[in-house]
Amino acid sequence: MNISLKQVDAYRWRIPKTGAMRVPGLLFSSSKLIRSVRNDPCLAQVANVATLPGIVHHSLAMPDIHWGYGFPIGGVAAFDLDEGIVSPGGVGYDINCGCRVMTTRLTADVIKPFINDLVQGLFRDIPCGVGSSGHIHLSKKEAEDVSVQGAAWAVKKGLGTIDDIEKTEDGGAIPGADPSTLSGRAMKRGKDQLGTLGSGNHFLEIQVVDRIYDSEKAAIFNLFEGQVTMFIHSGSRGFGHQICDDFLKEMTRHASTDGRYDALPDRQLIYSPLKSALAKRYLAAMACAANYAWANRQILMHWTRKSVMDTLSITPEEMGMRLLYDVCHNIAKHETHPMDGHETTLCVHRKGATRALPPWHPLLPRVYQRSGQPVLIPGDMGSYSYVLSGTEGAMEQSFGSCCHGAGRVLSRNQAVKKARGRDIRRELADHGVVVQSRGKRTLKEEMPEAYKSVSEVIESVHGAGLAKKVARLRPLGVVKG
Amino acid sequence: MACDTPVYSLLDHTADLKIRVWGRDLLDLFENAATSMMRFLLEAGPADETEVISISLTAEDLNDLMVRWLSEILYLLMGEHQVVVQSKLNAINRSHLDAVLHVIPYDPDKHQMETEIKAVTYHQIDVSPRGSHWQAEIVFDL
Repeated sequence: MNISLKQVDAYRWRIPKTGAMRVPGLLFSSSKLIRSVRNDPCLAQVANVATLPGIVHHSLAMPDIHWGYGFPIGGVAAFDLDEGIVSPGGVGYDINCGCRVMTTRLTADVIKPFINDLVQGLFRDIPCGVGSSGHIHLSKKEAEDVSVQGAAWAVKKGLGTIDDIEKTEDGGAIPGADPSTLSGRAMKRGKDQLGTLGSGNHFLEIQVVDRIYDSEKAAIFNLFEGQVTMFIHSGSRGFGHQICDDFLKEMTRHASTDGRYDALPDRQLIYSPLKSALAKRYLAAMACAANYAWANRQILMHWTRKSVMDTLSITPEEMGMRLLYDVCHNIAKHETHPMDGHETTLCVHRKGATRALPPWHPLLPRVYQRSGQPVLIPGDMGSYSYVLSGTEGAMEQSFGSCCHGAGRVLSRNQAVKKARGRDIRRELADHGVVVQSRGKRTLKEEMPEAYKSVSEVIESVHGAGLAKKVARLRPLGVVKG
Repeated sequence: MACDTPVYSLLDHTADLKIRVWGRDLLDLFENAATSMMRFLLEAGPADETEVISISLTAEDLNDLMVRWLSEILYLLMGEHQVVVQSKLNAINRSHLDAVLHVIPYDPDKHQMETEIKAVTYHQIDVSPRGSHWQAEIVFDL
C-alpha cells in the first residue's frame, strides 16, 4: 500500500484522506525521522485507523511511530461516544504498560563505586524475566481488590505512601473496573505476577540527571544535575495480555455475524461500538488491567527503594526516594477535549503514546499545576531518557498526547544478527552502563542500535510543541528481564 | 507433530515476530505452526511421560481458527504452566478442529524461555492453499 505523505511544516506531516478514510492522518516528526518510516507499513496502519467509525479530528502518530499490529505503535485516535468504537488492538496486549520515575537525595558520585552491587541487588530482589512469578500470591478476592483499587491497594499494604497516589496518572486507578467481566484465565494469570518486571523492553534503570533544560520546572519536579533517579518500565503482565486476547476473540465472534469482520482492512482492528454492552464490558475489564499495572509499578518502586537501601546500608531519609510521576502509554480512556469550541467527551486510544497535560489542568495534582504534567520518555539502555512537561500544544493538536519512547528501527531478528559475535554487555560497560539481564537474547534484541535516536524523537515533540524538555537522564545501571 | 523439523521461516517485522509456516495439508500445517511457536518459546527436549489433553475449537474461519489454536497452546504454557511437546490433529475443517496435545509440566530449571510471546495476533493473519500445499503467515506480539 502506497501512502502519500505531505509535509505541513518542520514537524508535521499529513496523510490526505483517501478511500475509506474518514479523517486525514497526521504525523509529528522531524524530516530526519520521517525517512525511516516513509516506506514502512506503519503509515498504512495510520490510514487504517482513520477508517474506523466515529474517529474525530485526525488519526495521529507520534515521532517514535513504528509498525505494530492493527494500530501503529505511537498511534493516538479519539472517537465520538455516540458514533465511535473501542478497539482492544488500539490499546494493545500490555494494557497500561507505562513508566514511573523516582527521584532520590543520592548523587551519582556517591553511588558509582557501588553500581555493580546495586545492579546485582536489584536483579536479585526484583522478579524479572519471561513469565516470571513474584513474591506475591493473590487470592481471588485480593486479585479483584487490586483490579478495582490499583496503586491504592499496594499503599494500603504498606508498599508506598499517599503522596505516590497523587503523583500517579488518574491516582493509580481508573473508575469503572469490574472484575466480574474477567475470565477465569485472566484471574489465574494475574494471581502470581503482581510485583514482576517482565521481559523484552521492560526494565529498571538507575540513572543520573545529566542535563537540565528548564531549571524552574526541574525545581518543581525535584530534579537537579548529578542526582540519582530510578526509572521503571513495566505493565499489567499476563493479566493484561489475557484480557486483551479474550476480548479480541469475543469481538471477532460478535462482528462476524454482521459482516464487520470481513470488511476490516486488518483483523487486529476489530472493535465494538462504544454504546454496545460488549464495549462497556471490555472497558470495565481493561480498567482492571490498568489498575493492576499501577499496583505493579507501585510495588516495584517499593522493592527498588528497599533493595537500594539494603545495598548501601542507608536509611529512608538518606535515600529520600520520592515518586516524580507515573504515566501510562497503552490505554483507552474517556476524556474531555475541546471540539469545535465545545468541551466534548471522547474515547481516546493511546497505543504507545503518553498523556501530556498542560499547566493548570484540573486532573493534575496541586504540586504540578504550575509546571504541567511530568512526561516520562525512556530511551534505549545505552542512551538517555527524558523528563518533559505537558503543554497547551498537546491539548490543541493531539488530545493531550506525546511520544512514549525511542521506537524500534531494527526488528528483533535483525538486532540479534547485528549483535552476533559481539559482547553487548561489555560494550555497554565500556560506556559506563552496568547491565544485568535474565534472558540471553534480550540484550541483543534490545541493543541500542535497534532503536531510533531518542534525542531526535524528543527534538520532534519539543519542536512540534507537544511537550517541553525539562531534564535528561543517563543510565548507570540497567536490570532487564 | 507431523515432522521433526518444522517447516517455517522468519519474515521481517519491526517490533514483533512474523513467521511463515508450510504444511502438506491443513492437519500438517496446524501441527507445524504449533511446533514452530513452541520452538521460539523454549527448548523442551525429549519427554518420557506426557499427559494428554483433548481440545476442540470452533472459529469464524480458518484464519480465526489458527489464532485460536495457537492462543490455546500459548495459554497452556503461560496460564497452566504446561509445555505442549506434541500436538496431533484428528479432524479439521474451515471452522472447527479436534486435537490431542501431549504436555509436560513447565520446569524453569529445564525449560529456559528465551522469548516471551505475549499473544498470537490477527494482524495480517493468512491461512491459504498454495498449489499442492498449505501456508500460514502469523504475527506474534512480543
